[in-house]
Amino acid sequence: MARGSSQSQQSTSTGSSTARPGLAAPRGSAAATAGMRRRRLGGGGGVSSGGGSGVGSGSSNMLRFYTDDAPGLKISPTVVLIMSLCFIGFVTALHVFGKLYLHKSGSQA
Amino acid sequence: MVGGFRVIHLVRPFLAFLPEVQSPERKIPFREKVIYTVISLFIFLVCSQLPLYGIHSTTGADPFYWMRVILASSRGTVMELGITPIVTSGMVMQLLAGSKIIEIDNNVREDRALLNGAQKLLGILIAVGQAVAYVLSGMYGSVGELGVGNAILIIVQLCFAAIIVLCLDELLQKGYGLGSGISLFIATNICESIIWKAFSPTTINSGRGAQFEGAVIALFHLLITRTDKVRALREAFFRQNLPNVTNLHATVLIFLIVIYFQGFRVVLPVRSKNARGQRGSYPIKLFYTSNMPIILQSALVSNIYFISQILYRKFGGNFLVNLIGTWKESEYSGQSIPVGGIAYYITAPSSLAEMATHPFHALFYLVFMLAACALFSKTWIEVSGSSAKDVARQLREQQMVMPGHRDSNLQKELNRYIPTAAAFGGLCIGALTVLADLMGAIGSGTGILLAVTIIYQYFETFEKEKASELGFFGL
Repeated sequence: MARGSSQSQQSTSTGSSTARPGLAAPRGSAAATAGMRRRRLGGGGGVSSGGGSGVGSGSSNMLRFYTDDAPGLKISPTVVLIMSLCFIGFVTALHVFGKLYLHKSGSQA
Repeated sequence: MVGGFRVIHLVRPFLAFLPEVQSPERKIPFREKVIYTVISLFIFLVCSQLPLYGIHSTTGADPFYWMRVILASSRGTVMELGITPIVTSGMVMQLLAGSKIIEIDNNVREDRALLNGAQKLLGILIAVGQAVAYVLSGMYGSVGELGVGNAILIIVQLCFAAIIVLCLDELLQKGYGLGSGISLFIATNICESIIWKAFSPTTINSGRGAQFEGAVIALFHLLITRTDKVRALREAFFRQNLPNVTNLHATVLIFLIVIYFQGFRVVLPVRSKNARGQRGSYPIKLFYTSNMPIILQSALVSNIYFISQILYRKFGGNFLVNLIGTWKESEYSGQSIPVGGIAYYITAPSSLAEMATHPFHALFYLVFMLAACALFSKTWIEVSGSSAKDVARQLREQQMVMPGHRDSNLQKELNRYIPTAAAFGGLCIGALTVLADLMGAIGSGTGILLAVTIIYQYFETFEKEKASELGFFGL
């Protein structure tokens, strides 16, 4: 059947009533994203809480491995970045010391 | 299953040790997301240029030569493994879950947590396995030359780099950045490769003196230095063994075709049961699973190459090993290329002329590409929780209904579109990849497809973020 879809969104709902069902949907799913998009036109409370859980996610069909908190070694994003930079520094230092070591052994020979 | 025991529960004891990025407790501003994304990309690029400490040489045959760009790995650097461990673990988990060897109920939060942990654990194990295989196979010089200490150092560097990639990807996906780390790294690598082939100032000595590697640079250089302009043009457009202007045109054409197909979708009308008059739409795209089929197909092919080359080097001459693939050194690039067996038949023909010469190879490759992409695409919707049943449940939870349909018919209606979009979309992805390869697009057909779909998604993400920011400020 041919059915026109209306792109206009009219909001007459309260934030709390629309926010609660949305939070139950898995984060990052296409349906949740569609719901979040409409919910932003609702109450302020609904938008902020709903947006927090939905807006951060990218396309639902991108390669996704992490959608929920799992028990594990908790690390903050800052720790991830610092850990990476320390690793880079460590390997660089290995190269520097390696060169110095070769130079020293070379001079002794 | 006895007493509710399931294979996935084997992962539970390891969860405590797996690194887990905290979810954001507040909404991250757009600018902050951009900063996180840029820093992650910077870390990745630096690692791609940072040589491994302790290696003697990288002159040996490179089993990943053909897949380097797609798998975001760089020869002889700490990013040697690239995203292979993550993608391979994703592919394996998909196959296990899709074939019900592992029972996963996406509705249960614990199951999702265990699945995530299993993927992460498997990724780390694959990284360890690949690192050890690299060292033992003599990729960096024989183990005798390296010494035990250096060999262990190399393995540790590779494994730690793989863990960093895994954490960066999780960081971006948890909402601190934009999109997915894997997609970001792949797209960056491919764009870098394309720009290099178009504008590279490197000169290569051929039979008629030095030539620039970059297609555009070579075009202008030839036009300026040659007295015969017509021949110079023909040389720039059709030269062999180096990027030429025709390759550039083919690349641009594929870009445009993919962008055009991105717009294909079926829009299903939905409305809210609670809020009277609130209406919306749920679009089902032709590329429903986006670039997932290509990523998984690339991971499959690269693993076949890897295993085949190692086996061939150790047990060349064995019938089964030859069946998997036989290899020889390429006279031009010095890299091993498959010349027989399964590895050969799943390699793209290098030209239309070769297709005519070896029609069975061409046909086999075509069928393999289309079938693999369609199958991966169809299976992925089940694994990723975007099948008709999952979508119907999500819409129901949000009190959304389709006008004119009863609640119980929602899933049936979605079932008419979603599996078809997934399978046919995967098929189109495969066909476009083959088309790009035949036209000689820079990089590879697979790479072009990946780059375009990823970049398109980033544009969509930017638009969404901007709309969200404006809406937020509008309040």
